[in-house]
Amino acid sequence: MALITVAMGRLSQAFLLLLVMSIIGFIGIHSVGNPVFNVVNIETATPEDIRRATIALGLDQPVWRQYLLFIGNVVTGNFGTSYIYHLPAFGLVMSKLPATLELASIAMLVAAPVGTVLGLLAGRRNGTLLDRSILKTSVFALSVPSFWLSMMLILLGAILTGWFPSGGRGSTVSLLGQEWSFLTWNGLWHLTLPALALAIPNIALIARLARSGTIEVEQLDFTRFCRAKGLSPRRILFRHTLPNISVPIVTIIGLQFGGMLAFAVVVESIFAWPSVGKLLIDSIQLLDRPVVMATLTFISVAFVVLNALVDLFYAVLDPRVRLST
Amino acid sequence: MKAEIIRVLGKPPYGPALTVSKIVLAAYILLALAAPAIAPQNPYDPLQIYGWEASSPPGTMGSGGYIYLLGTDGLGRDIVSTILYGLRISLLVSITSAAIAALIGLTAGVSAAYFGKWVDVAIMRLVDLQLSLPTILVALIAIVTLGPGIDRIILALIIAQWATYARVVRGVALSETGKPYMDAARLMRLPTSRIIFRHLLPNSIAPAVTLIPIEVGHAVALEATLSFLGLGVPIDKPSLGATVANGFQYLLTGQYWISLFPGLALAGLIASINLVGEDVRRRLDPRSRSI
Amino acid sequence: MMKQRNRFRPFLLSVLLLSLAFCGAFSVRAQAQELRVTTAYKLMTLDPHYANLNENTSLLSHIYERLVYQDEQLNLKPGLATSWERLSDTQWRFKLRENVRFHDGSPLTADDVIYTIERIRDFLKPPSGGFQSYVSGIKSVSAADPMTVIVETKASAPTLPLSFSSIFIMPKPAEDFRTTEELNAGTDPVGTGPYKFAGWSSGETLKLVRNEDYWGGKPAWPTVTFRVIESPAARVAALTTGEVDVADSIPARDVGALKQRGAKVESVGAARVNFLQFDVASETLPGVTGKSGEPIANPFKNPMVRKALALATDRGILTDKILAGYGTPASQLFPTGLPGTSPNLVAEPPKYDEAKALLTKAGYPDGFNLVLAGPAGRYPGDGETLQAVAQSWARIGVTVQPTAAPFSVFNTKRAAGEYAAWYGGCSGEAVDIMLDALLASPDPERGAGALNYGNYRNEAFDKMLAKAESIPEGPERNKALADATEFVMADQPIIPLYHFHHIVGYGKRVASYVMHPRGWTTAMQTIPATE
Repeated sequence: MALITVAMGRLSQAFLLLLVMSIIGFIGIHSVGNPVFNVVNIETATPEDIRRATIALGLDQPVWRQYLLFIGNVVTGNFGTSYIYHLPAFGLVMSKLPATLELASIAMLVAAPVGTVLGLLAGRRNGTLLDRSILKTSVFALSVPSFWLSMMLILLGAILTGWFPSGGRGSTVSLLGQEWSFLTWNGLWHLTLPALALAIPNIALIARLARSGTIEVEQLDFTRFCRAKGLSPRRILFRHTLPNISVPIVTIIGLQFGGMLAFAVVVESIFAWPSVGKLLIDSIQLLDRPVVMATLTFISVAFVVLNALVDLFYAVLDPRVRLST
Repeated sequence: MKAEIIRVLGKPPYGPALTVSKIVLAAYILLALAAPAIAPQNPYDPLQIYGWEASSPPGTMGSGGYIYLLGTDGLGRDIVSTILYGLRISLLVSITSAAIAALIGLTAGVSAAYFGKWVDVAIMRLVDLQLSLPTILVALIAIVTLGPGIDRIILALIIAQWATYARVVRGVALSETGKPYMDAARLMRLPTSRIIFRHLLPNSIAPAVTLIPIEVGHAVALEATLSFLGLGVPIDKPSLGATVANGFQYLLTGQYWISLFPGLALAGLIASINLVGEDVRRRLDPRSRSI
Repeated sequence: MMKQRNRFRPFLLSVLLLSLAFCGAFSVRAQAQELRVTTAYKLMTLDPHYANLNENTSLLSHIYERLVYQDEQLNLKPGLATSWERLSDTQWRFKLRENVRFHDGSPLTADDVIYTIERIRDFLKPPSGGFQSYVSGIKSVSAADPMTVIVETKASAPTLPLSFSSIFIMPKPAEDFRTTEELNAGTDPVGTGPYKFAGWSSGETLKLVRNEDYWGGKPAWPTVTFRVIESPAARVAALTTGEVDVADSIPARDVGALKQRGAKVESVGAARVNFLQFDVASETLPGVTGKSGEPIANPFKNPMVRKALALATDRGILTDKILAGYGTPASQLFPTGLPGTSPNLVAEPPKYDEAKALLTKAGYPDGFNLVLAGPAGRYPGDGETLQAVAQSWARIGVTVQPTAAPFSVFNTKRAAGEYAAWYGGCSGEAVDIMLDALLASPDPERGAGALNYGNYRNEAFDKMLAKAESIPEGPERNKALADATEFVMADQPIIPLYHFHHIVGYGKRVASYVMHPRGWTTAMQTIPATE
């Protein structure tokens, strides 16, 4: 029963989120400029061409009518056709998904273990130089803007050393009808720097969480028991401390993963990684409204779903939650 | 409360990094204030810029009679001066927006807690909605809709940040409203405004204040990111972030100085604000865990 | 000590795995004989008549061909038509090339040409457009015999062959017209071009294979892959790492680094101009004030003010510093030397004293304030140009506040009259097309003055231009166009700034790349190195 209430609450909030996002997105883009100037060739088009194209795109209608029309279409699953690419907008978003997924996954695959290990170490050595330097570095890594981090990675990894390319996606391989680059060496090579740029702040975040969790757990009686029983520190750390601090870590991994899927905008732009976030930025700048709306909708839905998944994990991982259901 | 703040601020600093970061932050603020006096060039005055000396490497002698210590950018602006003036804009934008956002968040949070019912529901729905999206996206949409300009970017940052304050303040204010002295105040039929401003507000202000330094740090980073995406400050009055962005396109060409030095200045600024901010929060709000 | 190490094991393991992955990455080798190109032109549709944008036409020119081509000096040369002749003022005859076959095997005949023209003129509906203006003057088109096309125009059309140099010929289907959707989604596009369509992904890739039966001889590359990379830095990176053989739209500032890493670079002055334009019609202007902020009447109505500003513009900084040498200072609409340009118009270094004197004479001894608008990131050096111009004009007391906006925002505001002066760009396959768009009095009927947002009107120039345009292609026409340009530029309705260069970089597998002012990037221009 409680589950249904929670689910309904979630659903209604997701719905509200979608509605608000769609209105803001719609009005925002409408107020910014006329997309028709990106559709016709402004250097050769006559005012008549522009006028006719405006009518053909339905942009001559009042904004509220355009919005109602849009909502009507969305209900039937149609987000419209991209002004720029002349393709169904939602299909376009989906075609960018593999690039987004693989970048976010690899970044998280790096960040989760590294961050956890660093956090456990710092927590165990609470107050030592190691702990303090991990803590301070994490403040730094968390606070510098991602574009700065990306720039430094390009400077160090690409320009000074020439080890990695400074941008682009590299070669891809077709699998399940989609193009993936993590399956080719060249693709992985291109993935390294952007993945690192996304991973570093997450390493810092996870490390801090793991550290504070470890400190808390280490003070608990059962850890003392374990130590008194003569268990090795390693065993205590990985068998007992880790499971006990895993709930917030899994939560943050889930949330951050959702964030990365959608909003690694800056990193993706700098590394020219053709993914959903970059599509959003490009479409906003090109005023490609159908694509902006489709992207925002996709992102909102992905967010809600991921949050729900995190809750589910919560129930599975945390013994207290499991007991109460 | 006041006594506690004084006591806490009077504590000896924690660890050497903090002393360094405090000194660095103080230096940044002094440099920003003194920029017009100490910068060799006013990068906003086109008459002081020599376009033909664009992209000069560090150490080049300029026509203005001073040496370009860190070189010039693609338009001939002295990098040292650009950093100093950019610092002013970055700090102005972030401090203003954080302060106003705190004020709005404070008002919203206290109102939600005091009036309850639909006011609470409406405000907190909005807050939840906004906090369910990453700040950068909110700021991005706001600045795209508002258009360019320093006033607009401040507005966009306020829009992006007020919700954080509102949520924190509401939580504290809610626990305050439940306390006996509030009931007493109500029973005494004190006017609402008096209750809010004399009792509720002063007691809820601490968490908002502790948030400000950290949020200023966020604001600097946010503004820099927006400017980096070309959505922020006007092109002829670059902030630190915009200066880094201008230089980014020259990075591949080997003209590293255009973005490297402003970038380092920016990172140093953000790091020192955050370290100091974390410390302020830890001292003022013992309940907050350092996450 | 052992325990310490063990704790790190998962970390070490992942580091090892990652580094293994990266070592392997270096072993990538290109398949022999495949040309790999990265381009900024995102192919948005497979319909060659959908939108007249280089974005589409550059890549589609591999598959589809035109009746008439332009050489590197923009002179006309035979394409699918071997010859053309003006039968009367309103009639043209085109002889088609024999033995040309479409990729599906069907021969090229007059019917295909008729179908193509009718498809553009009658069938395609907005938002498709841009090509319409080339054929809207055509009254009828018929076949005298299967290899001869007679085109009848409504009015005298001396430049019809030039118009046909932009129109891709499609094969006539069994029935009806092909829709844009059909071409994008359904069957492979079929043309007569040197390369056949092999696959695409909108906005990302285009794969082509050699047309073995091409009428012009076997094309050089067995397969060609285009990858769209919009970020210039990523295009440069792809070229330096050897992932691609050719990269286009290289930023001028990256050329040095590219050469250092062994890539070669070709460039050509583009058949286009970037300029400053003024609102010369309105009584007062937004953002234009006197030195103490008081509102003033539109100063740009006075040609002396425009001349003074032109004299005070340092184009050298723009081309040498901002475009890093890959730009030519502009004094007219086409780079000097191309057909229809005047040899007498030369871009001079700034003369601040003369400019100041002229400005004083015009009644602005102290100068004035203005907001100068421009698009951000649309043209090479656009945002920087605004600021460099501000530096120049400050020397004669004109205080410029530069403001840059995304291209569509800029256009929306410019069309709404919110700007007083702005930076713009104009291109065309011939100089008269640009004169018509930019400087002729706005006339919706004739389609003239489409880019004349400043509402500049000069009847004498309109007459000269109309007269020049009635002359058939040739030296006489070019002379008349040059005279008209000289006449109008004396009035300085715009300040031409520069012709930026198209820059293409290429790697070891390419022997040379032939540049064309049109700025397309094609496999046909890429000559393979003999291995």
